Formats: sequence, structure tokens, C-alpha cells
Amino acid sequence: MAPPQSVETKGLFDLMTQAGDQPRDDIALAGEYALHLLDADSRFAFEQRLRDEPELRNLLREWDEGLVSLATEMNEVEPPAAIKRAIEVRLFSSEKADRERWFGRIGRWIGAAALVAAAFALAMYVAPSFTRPDVGPNYLAEIAADDRSVVVEAVFDPDTGEIDLDTMVGAPAEGRVFELWLIADGAPAPVSLGVLPQTGTDGLTVPEVLRSAMLGGTLAISDEPPGGSPTGAPTGDIVAVGLLTSS
Amino acid sequence: MTSTSDIETFILRTAMGDRAAFAALYDATSAKLFGVCLRVLNNRAEAEDVLQDVFVRIWRKADRYAVNGYSPMTWLITVARNLAIDRLRARKAPARPIEDIYDLAASGPTPEEAAAQSSERAQIDRCLDALESKYAESVRGAYLEGETYQDLAERAGVPINTMRTWLRRSLLKLKDCLT
Repeated sequence: MAPPQSVETKGLFDLMTQAGDQPRDDIALAGEYALHLLDADSRFAFEQRLRDEPELRNLLREWDEGLVSLATEMNEVEPPAAIKRAIEVRLFSSEKADRERWFGRIGRWIGAAALVAAAFALAMYVAPSFTRPDVGPNYLAEIAADDRSVVVEAVFDPDTGEIDLDTMVGAPAEGRVFELWLIADGAPAPVSLGVLPQTGTDGLTVPEVLRSAMLGGTLAISDEPPGGSPTGAPTGDIVAVGLLTSS
Repeated sequence: MTSTSDIETFILRTAMGDRAAFAALYDATSAKLFGVCLRVLNNRAEAEDVLQDVFVRIWRKADRYAVNGYSPMTWLITVARNLAIDRLRARKAPARPIEDIYDLAASGPTPEEAAAQSSERAQIDRCLDALESKYAESVRGAYLEGETYQDLAERAGVPINTMRTWLRRSLLKLKDCLT
């Protein structure tokens, strides 16, 4: 039977043999992340490191590539045909898609030259959403009503704490506002993140103390009087909910 | 059968906003990704929901695919599995057994797919076989069912900290073997 210090020594030896290579700890940690075994806090911390550490991203990629052949055990199952349509509706039937179609129609009406111009205008309109140089994970949520009468896309940047909110469908009733809430994993009550801006796309800033609680948290939108809930808890109906997940 | 390079092309064109390429990508990969969601979630309605989220995510993130160095199916499966496990973690109530909901034996890989997959499959099997069986089972349980350390510890009948310590050691061995 080995005395405890020899276990220590072996641990140290493991570390030393890896000098200049990936620390043993990171190899195991990336494996745990790839298997989705880390709790929400550790997962968040790991993702923060991924943003800044290319070697860690490589290590994670090696894990994902190494484990993926286990997915051969996950048999193919044809999804119902309605799913494809539902995805296209979610992605393309928003106001933005309408604008694209409008450009297209103008093109057909007024000839080839205008078509080129319209296509150029469309490209200028669409292009900014495809130029994201960042490589670290960011966080997305679709906050939606069951019947999709309200759909808000949220993108959270944990570095700045900013949430960009894009209201795709729906608006509060006259004289009412939408308020955004965080229901953190395991938290007893929702915390207000602020009243949604009235215009289509705008942001809110999450206070620093709440940022690590965002990942894996649920975002909810409630119907409130102007200025937001007077009590610190939702007073009106919860109109939409969505889970915030990393990329 | 759609080749790996076709799928890669679909992803890269999706990144440029090409909806036809996105539709082709869906046709080529949705059955696999739905299978991943179903296996993890064990619940058909949730798997259908998550599959939608998966393709919405793919549309939005396709531009990042080119810089992350993943092979195309690994990237797609990783996106699907992560979103399915996020959903699994967010719910509290246990699901019904999957056999109640869907016949998973309905389809498997084609012979071509099976051949392409078999060498990589053999590698992970060999590497897992080199681990103590309860940790090999733990790796499978975590990957395929989205099990937590608590689930794994309960199944192996050991305290959670013991499970974590020993699984981490097994992961080091596994990584050496896979690399």
C-alpha cells in the first residue's frame, strides 16, 4: 500500500513531464468540458479562458474530435417535415427577411441595373451581421412565447456585460413595457435586468455581480407598467422565456 | 450519400447567407443531429425543439466554423449535443424511457458511413477498453446520455469526489491514447 506522499510525488512527476506542453490539469479539464461534466460556474470560467487561450481551444478541439466517434452510437432519426419549415420561419420570416424580399421585388420591376443596385444595397444591409471576428464563445438566447407572439433574440457578451436585444416579433401593449429578468440556475427568484428599450435593437448592461450567473440561466420577459415593475419582482404576465446558452 | 466535403461546402456557403446551401445542409445532416438530440434528451418534443435551436445556431455561427478548425460533422454534432445537454440540465423532471417514444432501431449508418467511421470508432473503443471499465462506462454515459458527475457516482456506487478524481485520471490516459 502506497503512503500518501507517493501519490503527491506522482502528481508532481506528471506535471513535470508535461513541462512546456499542456498542463495535465488543463487536459483533464478540457475533457470534462467536452463531456459537459463541469458545473455551470466552472463551465463559464472555462469558456472565459477559451476566448483568450488558443492552445486551450486546440485542446478542446482535439477532445471533441477524439470523442465524436462515440456519436456513431446515436442513430439517425428522420425529424418531422414541419421542423425544417419552422426553422426557416424562425430565421427568415422576420422583418429583415421582408426587407430582403422587398429589395428583390423592386429588382424585378425596374430592370437589371436596379437589380444590381438593389443587390448591392442588400449586401450592405446583410454584410455586417456576417463580420464577427471574435472566436471565443458568446451567449445566445431566443426568448419566445409558446405561440411565438413574442420573439426576442438576445446576445450576451460576458466581458462587457452587454446584452444586445433584437425584438423579432411582438411589442408591449399601449402604455405597458417589457421587462427582462434573469432566473439564474438554482436561484430562488428572478432578478430584473431592466426594461427593454422601445426601439427594435438595443442593449442592456448586466451588473458585474450577475454576469457569471447568466450562463445556463433562463431569461424571461414580463409585461409591466411604464418604468418597469415597482416591486422588484414581475407583476404582470411572463410573456416569453428562453435559455441562455453558449455557442 | 453526401460527402464530408459537400457538408463543409454547405457550411461555408451558409456562412455567406446562402439559404439554399443551408437547406441542403439541413437535408444532409438533420437526421443525424435529431438522433443526437433524441439520445441525450430521451424526449421527442424536447428533441424537436432543440433541433430547431441547433439549426438556428448553425445559421448564425457558420461564419465561425471556418476559423475553428473542426471537421464538419464534429462541429455539427458538438453544437447539437451541447444544446441538448443544456436543455437536459435546465429541466428537473425525469423523461419517459425513449423506447416509449420512438423506435431508435429504425435506421443506422449506411455501409459507406459505417466503413468511414469504423477506423475512428475502433480507436475510441480501443482507448476506452484500456481504461478501468467503470470509467469507460462513465465516459460513455457522459457523452451519450449527458450524465452528470452525480449520475456517474451513483451508478458506480462511489462518492462524487472519488468519481471526479478517478475520472480525471482516466481522461488523461484517454487523451494520450486518442492523440
